Order: sequence, then C-alpha cells, then structure tokens
Amino acid sequence: MAKFLFVYRGLPDQSQTPPSPEQVQAIMAAWGEWFRKVGAAVVDGGDGLQPTGRMVWPSGKVSDGPFIESKEVVGGYSVLQADSYEQVAEYAKSCPILANGGSIEIRELAGFN
Amino acid sequence: MEHFFRHEYARLVASLTRRFGVRHLGLAEDAVQAAVERALRSWSLRGVPDQPAAWLHQVAYRHALDALRRDLRWTPLHVSRSTDWPTASPPPLVEAEVQDDLLRMIFVCCDPVLSQEQMVALALKTLCGFGPKEIARAFLTTEANILKRITRAKERLRATSIDPTALSADDIRTRLPDALAVVYLLFNEGYSSTQPDQVIREDLCEEAVRLALLLAEHPLTAGTETAAFLALLLFHAGRLAGRTGPTGDLCLLEDQDRAAWDWRLLAEGFRWLKLATTGEVVTRYHAEAWMAAEHCRAPDYQHTDWAAIVDAYELLLKLAPSPVHELNRAIAISRRDGVEAGKQALAQIPPDHIPDTYYLWHATLAEFALASNDPAATRASLLRARELAPTVAERELLDRRLAAL
Repeated sequence: MAKFLFVYRGLPDQSQTPPSPEQVQAIMAAWGEWFRKVGAAVVDGGDGLQPTGRMVWPSGKVSDGPFIESKEVVGGYSVLQADSYEQVAEYAKSCPILANGGSIEIRELAGFN
Repeated sequence: MEHFFRHEYARLVASLTRRFGVRHLGLAEDAVQAAVERALRSWSLRGVPDQPAAWLHQVAYRHALDALRRDLRWTPLHVSRSTDWPTASPPPLVEAEVQDDLLRMIFVCCDPVLSQEQMVALALKTLCGFGPKEIARAFLTTEANILKRITRAKERLRATSIDPTALSADDIRTRLPDALAVVYLLFNEGYSSTQPDQVIREDLCEEAVRLALLLAEHPLTAGTETAAFLALLLFHAGRLAGRTGPTGDLCLLEDQDRAAWDWRLLAEGFRWLKLATTGEVVTRYHAEAWMAAEHCRAPDYQHTDWAAIVDAYELLLKLAPSPVHELNRAIAISRRDGVEAGKQALAQIPPDHIPDTYYLWHATLAEFALASNDPAATRASLLRARELAPTVAERELLDRRLAAL
C-alpha cells in the first residue's frame, strides 16, 4: 500500500452564476456518495484552500498570488492509500470534481516521514 | 435531508431579514448564498459538521454583519443607524422564531406594492430557495427576466415596505387572501400541464403545500380558511401522480388510475377538511376543497356524487363568480342529469360570460356534441379547442380524441 496526494484543481464550480442551494444539494450528495465509495482508502480527508494566497520568491520578495487560470487554481487536497496508481486513479475517476470541469493531480508520497 | 440546502436557505433568509430589516433582504440573501457556497467548498472535503444548520447560520450571520458594517461607513449620518448587534455570534435559532420569520416572509413577498408575477418569483427565491435558473424554467422564461423581476421587486420593497416585524395581527388577517392567492399560484405552476419538467412540478407543489401548512398551523393565521386551503392543496397534490398515464401522456380524471394516488396526502386532506368545517366562516376554498374531496371519495368517475359537486359549484359561484366555474358547473350538471341538462346549463351562461378563447369551453361543446351523435359539430369544436390549447400535452390529448372520431 502506498499513499497518494490528490491535488484538486477547479474546485468549486467555476461557472459565472454561483450554484443555487438546490444545485449545492446535488453536488454535496455526489461528494457524499464519492466519499462513501472510496471511504476506506482515505487517509486524510484534507482541506480546501482559501482562494487567495502569497508567493515567496528566491529574492525573498513576497507578493500576492499565484494568479493563474481559474481552472488551474488548486482548491484543496486529500491523501488516499492504494496499491497502485491504477487503483487510486480508479478512485479519482468517480470524484464529483471531474463532473464540474475540475481535475485531480495524483502524486505518490515519497515516504520521507 | 433531500432539500436541506434549499430549506435552510429559506429559513436563514427569513431569519436574517427579520433581524436586519426588509430593506436588507438582498444583503440577507447574499449572506446565506455565500454561506451555502462555503459549505460546499468546506464540507466536500472535510465532511458535514455535526450541526450543519447552526454552521450555516453562523457563517451567514457573520457575513451579513460584515457587509452591513461596510455599508454603514458610506451611510449618511442622518440615516438611522439604530441596530443592536452586540455579538459577532448569532443567538441560536429557535424553531418557533423561525416559523414566525418564515410566516412574516410570506407577507413580505405578498406586499401589495408588488405585482403578482413579482410576488411569485420573490416567494420562490426567498421562501423556497430556488435559484433564478430553476424559476426561469418553471415560468418558461429566461433567467435574465427572472433576475430583473426579482431585482425590481426588492427595489420596490426597499422603497415602500413597512418592516414585517411591524405587521400587526390585523394586517396579517387583511393580507391573508393575497398570501393564499400567491401560494395557490405557486401550486398551480407546479400542477398545471404547462410545466414539462416533472421534478420541478413536484417540488413546486411540495413547496406550496409546505407554505400552506405553515399558514394553517401558525397561531396568527390558523383558522377555517387556511385549513380549507391546505385541504384543497393536499387533495390536488395527492392526485398529481395520477395525472400522467403510464406512457407519460396527460390523463383525464375519468381515466386515471386511482390506486396511483398518494392516499397519505389525501387522508391528510380529509383531516384538514374536517377541521375547516368547525367554524361558521365559509370561503371559496371550502367550496373547492369540498368538490375535490368528493372526487377523492368516489370509487370511480361514474360513481362520483355529482349532486354534491353541483351543490359545491353553486356555493363557489356565490363566493367567487367566474365563467370558468360556470362552465365546470354545467359539466357537473351533465354528469348528474345527462347531456341535455348539461347543454341547457351551458345555454344559460350569459353570452358576455362565455370564455370563447378558453379551450376547455370548446372541448366541452365537443363532448356534448359527441354525446348527441353530431360528429360534424364534435370535430369543429375539437379543432377549435386544439387551436386554443396552451400546451403540447393538451394538444396531444385533443389529437387522440380527434383520431377516435
């Protein structure tokens, strides 16, 4: 069993009109369903990220940012465990973020800790 | 849990509006919307908190407070700033207070300065938590139109409305007919066959029943009128499933599968009807509930107590005269006494009352012509009815009748 970091991009729905309470209901139901399905594999549910942040550069300068395409913005993370990339990718495929135009970057943890 | 967010939205908007005032209705809605979106982001990854409603309330309240403080900096000094928001944490929501707030919200939405279209759109948004896109689908118009309608409604309220907390019990009693009319409109949006989306139809009917229940149970508005009104909605809602046949086509009452009716709702309807007849006041809703009850009671169409239904129409015509009711009474008379009597009843309707552009008028003429073995007149009337029919489903129904000739 290895651990894999899930980096969610494009969370939440990035469309112009914010989702109505009813749409939120549907999305929440989908996420709940997903967590039930992959539940046992989740090591750390992770967290969301606030929309704005800071960049620290080699010069020591600290600036606002990063400013990138909204669909590239990292919205959150989780850690799951699985036997292989193939297996963990199967888990990722059913994640609701994909249905909403987002994507998931999966990186196996190196195990330094 | 199925409509948790939508219902919480309505409860929180009502609560914040009462706390901060009707002129801040827009601000209250923004705050609750922001809380709902934050919930989506946070709960998706971290799971639903132990007390989701309290979490939403907390976030929405703080958001509203922040927005108000920002606004205040730009408010001229002479405008009253009397507010008492001592804490950043809202006091816990008490169920009885929320019911009060929701009730008052109904009356905000029914403010006489608003047009009926505005009332219904506003009610759907703030009281039922529907998004503008969903409301647009229900009214077969664009999202932009609905947004405009709601914005104008809020502007009018901001300019002229008195604070709902200032509404006296007498004010509420005077405005009750408006409130019932709006809820009825909401229900009919869901019930009518103009609505193609089955899911939205059921939601609309359910919301209308929920509001009618609030009105029937709240001490300020409980009474025989609201009881009769709720009974009426329950009798219709209970039969909603029977209105579409197995192939999805519109189904006439005489052809409906009565076993498909929701008998729990109908039983509730009978319970409320009984409560409605404990007083001396009789309203149009009593008459309408009575005839709906007769239809529900009957084992089938042929054995319906048509005499009772005719009596109910007599009563309804006294309380709410209209050409449509006269037409329906004539139909009931034809069921009770035969086609000739029905024709005579139709003939008695004064010419200036005849709803010539109402498709059911012609459909009825067609029915009587068919029963009198007059195929030419039947065809002519059916064609005219089909021309005037408002929806695809009704046109298809008439096409089937034409084909059967």
